[in-house]
Amino acid sequence: MQETRHQYREALKQLEHQTLDGLDLVIQQLDRALEAISYQDVELAGIVVADDDRIDGRYLEVHQAVLSLLARQTPVAGDLRIVAALLHTIRCVERMGDQCVNIAKLVPLSGYEAPKDKDILDSIERMGQLARSQVSQAKHAFATRNTALAQDLVRQDAEINRLNREIFKRAVEVGDDLDMREWAMFMILVARCLERVGDNTVDIAEQVVFVVTGLFREFADISVPTTPTTS
Amino acid sequence: MNPHEVSSKESTHMPTADGPQEQTDVAPDVSALGVREGRGHTVSLEDLHAYYGQQHAIKGIDLDFVANRVTAIIGPSGCGKSTMVRCINRMHEEIPGARAEGSVKLDDLDVYAPEVDVTAVRRLIGMVFQKPNPFPTMSVFDNVAAGIRLSGNSRGANLRDRVHGALRAVGLWDEVKSRLNQPGIGLSGGQQQRLCIARTVAVEPEVILMDEPCSALDPVATLKIEELIDELKERYTIVIVTHNMQQAARVADSTVFMLDGEVIEVGPTNDIFTKPRDERTERYVTGKFG
Amino acid sequence: MSITTLPQISAKRRRTDKVMRGSLVAGTVIALIPLILIIFYLLQKGLSTWSRSFFTTDPTGSFFGNPGGIRSAILGSLEIVALATIISIPIGIGVALYLTEYGKQSWFANTVRYFVDVMTGVPSIMFGLFIYIVLVTAHVGGVGFAAWKGAIALALLMLPIVVRSAEVVLLVVPSSLREAALALGAPRWRVVFRVVLPTAASGLVTGSLLAVARGMGETAPLLFTVSTAFGLTFNLSHQMNTMPFLIYNYIQSPRAVIQGLAWGAALTLVVIVLILNIIARAIAGRSRMT
Repeated sequence: MQETRHQYREALKQLEHQTLDGLDLVIQQLDRALEAISYQDVELAGIVVADDDRIDGRYLEVHQAVLSLLARQTPVAGDLRIVAALLHTIRCVERMGDQCVNIAKLVPLSGYEAPKDKDILDSIERMGQLARSQVSQAKHAFATRNTALAQDLVRQDAEINRLNREIFKRAVEVGDDLDMREWAMFMILVARCLERVGDNTVDIAEQVVFVVTGLFREFADISVPTTPTTS
Repeated sequence: MNPHEVSSKESTHMPTADGPQEQTDVAPDVSALGVREGRGHTVSLEDLHAYYGQQHAIKGIDLDFVANRVTAIIGPSGCGKSTMVRCINRMHEEIPGARAEGSVKLDDLDVYAPEVDVTAVRRLIGMVFQKPNPFPTMSVFDNVAAGIRLSGNSRGANLRDRVHGALRAVGLWDEVKSRLNQPGIGLSGGQQQRLCIARTVAVEPEVILMDEPCSALDPVATLKIEELIDELKERYTIVIVTHNMQQAARVADSTVFMLDGEVIEVGPTNDIFTKPRDERTERYVTGKFG
Repeated sequence: MSITTLPQISAKRRRTDKVMRGSLVAGTVIALIPLILIIFYLLQKGLSTWSRSFFTTDPTGSFFGNPGGIRSAILGSLEIVALATIISIPIGIGVALYLTEYGKQSWFANTVRYFVDVMTGVPSIMFGLFIYIVLVTAHVGGVGFAAWKGAIALALLMLPIVVRSAEVVLLVVPSSLREAALALGAPRWRVVFRVVLPTAASGLVTGSLLAVARGMGETAPLLFTVSTAFGLTFNLSHQMNTMPFLIYNYIQSPRAVIQGLAWGAALTLVVIVLILNIIARAIAGRSRMT
């Protein structure tokens, strides 16, 4: 049967690419921000902050494209769910971008000769890697509509949350050195930003399940079993 | 007695300004039809088959229409939606060579039972057609009264009250009260269709069938009729055939998707348009075919 | 691709246009000439005989003396045609109603249509002969020639015309009106009498008037059924004078005066037919306005 609404399908595909490519931008920013933290590279941090404009721009583009599609093409059923999910997802992208900026802004504040605690730094690095892989997995899950992959993100996110609590505990016990304590507090903030990035990927995972099944389920922490809410 | 005298009690609605064609615009007031007792009526189709000569157009449909709800029937051209609806009030058999089998139940009464009087069925199940068809030789008043007179119930009936009530119920009263004895075909397309609806409603049916009632109308007239449908469902069970999916989405509580003489999916309109269960329904509503 | 000038009509095409137009105009003129000549002759020869006594006195039948007027012929024609109309119009419309509303395309209805078509082609003298054999020679009703027998012959002649034109008019009534009436719960006979006939009314009247005009002018059926009389009579069981018969008789007379009367009668007949046609047209025109 001949495919109808060719332009509309193209517009929908284009919208999805734009949104998911935003996740690539986030990964890029995340890498840079983490490097800036590790090496205390103020210049790199400045680049991260400036480059957030790209992500904000992407958000506006997608938002406008969604409005246009809704107004002109009246998507329904599966298409409507995709459009709603993409709108939600690009907000997550924008928020993740903001978290990267927050991380980058913490760089100059931590000082040039700040003493570092190896354990905390390792944990931060580990969290960063996890966050990065979660974003990548979220993108893949959405693109392939893979609900199993989406569900798995909850498990990974639990790990990030655990690391976050660990860093906090470690920072409390870090010692009497004033500079050290100050640095450790900043690291807590960085950890929190990374934890938020993780939460956003779980949001995206929920959207993937919504697109595929039409049901919206909040993925709680897997350690706390909940009953799913059906619409 | 002059049946066209305007009643002295005026409508208490405040008229709202409207477009250039129609003067005052009053909301439809279904309570003008008087008090109705009893609950609403359901329609059930059981193993319905319909034929045009040898052609098997409706292939075994089982369907329930909920009382006092609007159910829309959607599907591509030629899927049998109009045919099925015409089987409900037994208009299908008026076509030479056409016949229907199975049962159509109004509550518990099978309209296809052997001894049933077809005209009685049609008085209980009214129909509004695609192209407005007021009777050209009759005035506005006579058009609305036509249903009552043609079905032979005009003796003793308070015709004037019923006609005025019907016109109020469809929101046409203010627009025509000063020209009740002018030809019905002098009205605009949207008004004519509302006149036809008033004519149907004056007979006091239980169910109203609508076969693409807005396809011949402009967008403003269409929206007025959709609003009217929303009001009418308080009193009647409404089935509407439409090829305009957005209209089904706006107006209907439940939607039925048909293809090639069969029902593919039935469900709340919200579900059909946000998460249809059948692949074919999904493809049709997203415009992949049809 | 740009257009710098629009191409002009070639000289050859201009010539062809002129030739075509010229020959069509010429053809029309040639066709109109006999008609104009007829009217001219009628006026020239007939108008002079019109006088008060022409219309108010009966033919005397005297060979030598005052021939009288043509009153009995005019009244006789009107009487016989009126009776023929009363017979043929209700039956004709009835047959047309059967064909459009009930029979439709059944083999029986098609057979009836075929025979009606055949009847329109039957020479009018056949109707006269038929009635002559069946009613006149058998002296049905106790007499030989009689006015009512002539009326029947004319009715047979008018019948297929009425049926044909009525069927056409009834088919023009949109089926959506019938559907609307049926869907309101009207039995079929009410649909026919309350909706179809009123809508078709003016067309039916027009068709009937044309049949009447035809009936007024037919001579052959009257020759064998009514014969003639000179005096005025209103008794349908007797022979009666008619215009065609009078013209037929008088034109053969050696007396110029009587021939003149024939022309006068011919002119009168044409005027009556013309008036009927104008009335028919006026009714058709007025119905188109509404």
